[in-house]
Amino acid sequence: MSAELALSPRRPLLLRRFAGVSPVIVVAGTVLALIVLAALLAPLIAPYDPNAVDLMSPYEGSSPAHWLGTDASGRDILSRLLYGARISLAGPALVIACSMTAGVLLALVAAWCGGKVDAVISRLIEVLFAFPGLILAVVAVAVFGAGFWAPVVALSIAYVPMVARILRSVALRERNLPYVAALQIQGVPAPRIAVRHLLPNLMPMITVQAGIGFAYAMLDLAAISYLGLGLQPPTADWGVMVAEGQSSIIEGYPQESLYAAGAVLVTVVCLNLVSGWVAERYDVRGAEL
Amino acid sequence: MNTPRNHEPPPLRSSSPRFRGHPEMTTLDIQDLRVAVPVRWGSKTILDGVSLTIAPGEALGLVGESGSGKTTSLRAVVGLLPRGATRSGTIHVNGTDIGTLSKAELRRFRGTQTAVVFQDPRAHINPLRSVGDFLLENLVEVQRKPRAEAERTVRGLLVDVGITDPERRMRQKPYELSGGLLQRVMIAAAMAAEPSLLLADEPTTALDVTTQEEVMAILDEQRKARGLAMLFVSHDLDLADAVCDRIAVMKDGRIVEELGAEGLRQQASHDYTKALIAARPRLQVSVPSGRPYDEKPAAAPLLEVAELRKVYRVRPATGTGHEDLVAVDSISFGLPRAGSLAIVGESGSGKSTTARMIVGLAQPTSGRIVVDGDEWQPGRLSSAERRRRGRLVQMVFQDPYSSLDRRQSAQDCLREALAVHGHLPKKQRDQRVAELLDQVGLTAEQGRALPRSLSGGQRQRVAIARALAADPSVLILDEAVSALDVSVQAQVLELLDRIRRELDVALLFISHDLPVVQQISDDVLVMHRGEVVESGAVNDVLSAPREDYTRRLIDSVPREGWQPRRRRTTPAAPDPVEVP
Repeated sequence: MSAELALSPRRPLLLRRFAGVSPVIVVAGTVLALIVLAALLAPLIAPYDPNAVDLMSPYEGSSPAHWLGTDASGRDILSRLLYGARISLAGPALVIACSMTAGVLLALVAAWCGGKVDAVISRLIEVLFAFPGLILAVVAVAVFGAGFWAPVVALSIAYVPMVARILRSVALRERNLPYVAALQIQGVPAPRIAVRHLLPNLMPMITVQAGIGFAYAMLDLAAISYLGLGLQPPTADWGVMVAEGQSSIIEGYPQESLYAAGAVLVTVVCLNLVSGWVAERYDVRGAEL
Repeated sequence: MNTPRNHEPPPLRSSSPRFRGHPEMTTLDIQDLRVAVPVRWGSKTILDGVSLTIAPGEALGLVGESGSGKTTSLRAVVGLLPRGATRSGTIHVNGTDIGTLSKAELRRFRGTQTAVVFQDPRAHINPLRSVGDFLLENLVEVQRKPRAEAERTVRGLLVDVGITDPERRMRQKPYELSGGLLQRVMIAAAMAAEPSLLLADEPTTALDVTTQEEVMAILDEQRKARGLAMLFVSHDLDLADAVCDRIAVMKDGRIVEELGAEGLRQQASHDYTKALIAARPRLQVSVPSGRPYDEKPAAAPLLEVAELRKVYRVRPATGTGHEDLVAVDSISFGLPRAGSLAIVGESGSGKSTTARMIVGLAQPTSGRIVVDGDEWQPGRLSSAERRRRGRLVQMVFQDPYSSLDRRQSAQDCLREALAVHGHLPKKQRDQRVAELLDQVGLTAEQGRALPRSLSGGQRQRVAIARALAADPSVLILDEAVSALDVSVQAQVLELLDRIRRELDVALLFISHDLPVVQQISDDVLVMHRGEVVESGAVNDVLSAPREDYTRRLIDSVPREGWQPRRRRTTPAAPDPVEVP
């Protein structure tokens, strides 16, 4: 058995790590990496200023000068997509960072303390659950005005219950394992057990949740931008671009909406695939234990 | 090879002419069975040329330690191998090669020719449907019997397995039945199909020892009455010995030796079989200790427990409000320095709750715990107070898999435990880690490994080392060797005994396993439903039990010449109550 297990010792680490991973996941992962890279390098690789208006050449089709054509104001769609990736990815990233932090904290406290504390946090989560994220965002915009921040803050709050509820159940199972009891008997302080032991063991689940949440946040933010409640034109943002391109569709030039919607779609699908894969790997590992 | 010792081969019972065999045919004939499962890189051999035969009406015990391939052999017979497994060799059941059957034929074959009784009955019954539904399914859906007739059959079967009120039980849901009762239902279900081959996979391992005897007695009785052939998979050589005609010992996917059950110990010639027999402590019931036992020993025992009581508030099975469940009812005992006391009892007896109260994982309702002259106050413990107590009393848990953080190597685990109890310079700390690893018999390399690459016994050693890191005076072992294979169990017991002698650590041993208790402990406390029913020197209690319950506990332990007997006419199994 050991001889068989010791197969392929010479393959490079990276290849070995991803041996047996389905090609679909490899493609999805690569696409995601490229999108992030494009967002980071937008100023270097974008052929035009995303907001440079050229009224002489609206609605151009794909050409060597404009790979994806131009919009109603003659702006280069590719450049707008590349710059748009920055804000379209930054929004969900912020939402996830905030909601994950709050959710993990609530989950750990609820799972650790149990009893009344758990009951209060659980009820709080249920109350928050009753507010649909989009409605909360619309209300936030009505109160604080449209822009980048209001929807991000609203969604950060709206996503907390989803994260907290799932992680609480996982944390609760972990907390009741005997190794935690052993640490308690040793006299390890509770915060240390939570941070040094529970958190690392919850990390796979947190990663999965973050991936799925990111995709949701991206769709929700795009929808808010599309409704005109989030980012405002002429900001280059995928949601804004879909909305702006709407009027052009009637004129027979669907490219702006199409490409922007396509970018959202591709990102979300790739994210779902990759986070699903992480979840599966986690399951396999869990079965080993 | 031996002939069945119990009776003549009975006629085959088979409801399906497609599979009917000839009387002279073997019921199960496995030839050169090889099974491999895919692992991350390549494949792993689980069965490496297993051959065995079972004659009609004969019982073969397949005995081995975990990972020996005994369960895989059983599952191969009914085509239940893990996904992606490759199989070679032949399996004939009543002359039919199951490798040649189509999926539909295989399903029908499973439903009519074989029946399986698994280890955990609760995992193999749909929790949402009634027991009656479950029992009727095979008769109505597979054998196409009219419902009224099927119900009559099922009622008869339930009575056969010792269930006195079949109508009520059939209406109940699985969660309303205790484990022992549920396993009887599984046996009834196995009989319902009128199979010719019964496959039993550790059918009583999850049960208490007294329940084990009841269930084994019923299984044995039913099997003999119906003339079934049986493949009995077990880790317990004594148990298999008691109910089987022949024993096959498995190791690393091979059968190393096949023996007649009678005179097993004398016949055993293979080293592994001998080691297996030697590793398991034998219960000795006629060696009085010859020393007096004092209920309140030594002027000031190291650990003294007085009138300790724990009451849980539970929701009753029926009705509203709450009722009190007394988990531990006013128990008192003392443990002298470097002494060894065992608390034995079956599940629900309160032995684990007692341990948890002593280490502060549960709050006593009332009573006193005095350690080294210092009375421990109940209430919420600060981590400083826990550290102080941790330096006196430590605990090792049952499950070696979940009692270590799976992301922490053994040495990191020990370093952390040491860091909690004071700051040693790095060099001294690493030295102490090496010392602890050495004390529990682990190499430095094993110390660097993550738990997943350690075996169960090695993990349990890490857990013991972690407990020793605080240099405690009392070590509480909550079923600490119950999940281990016998050979590993023997080594860990030896280690514990050495720790006691060399480090002067007193052992409080919580267990259900009398032979193990007899080996490791001086004194014993027998608990039943929260109360101490008997206490004394281990050998005195075992050789001259004063209480009926203790006697029953002793009589239920499988050993040489032991036969399972039914001791109760009515199953006095109470409905299970969930303890929060």
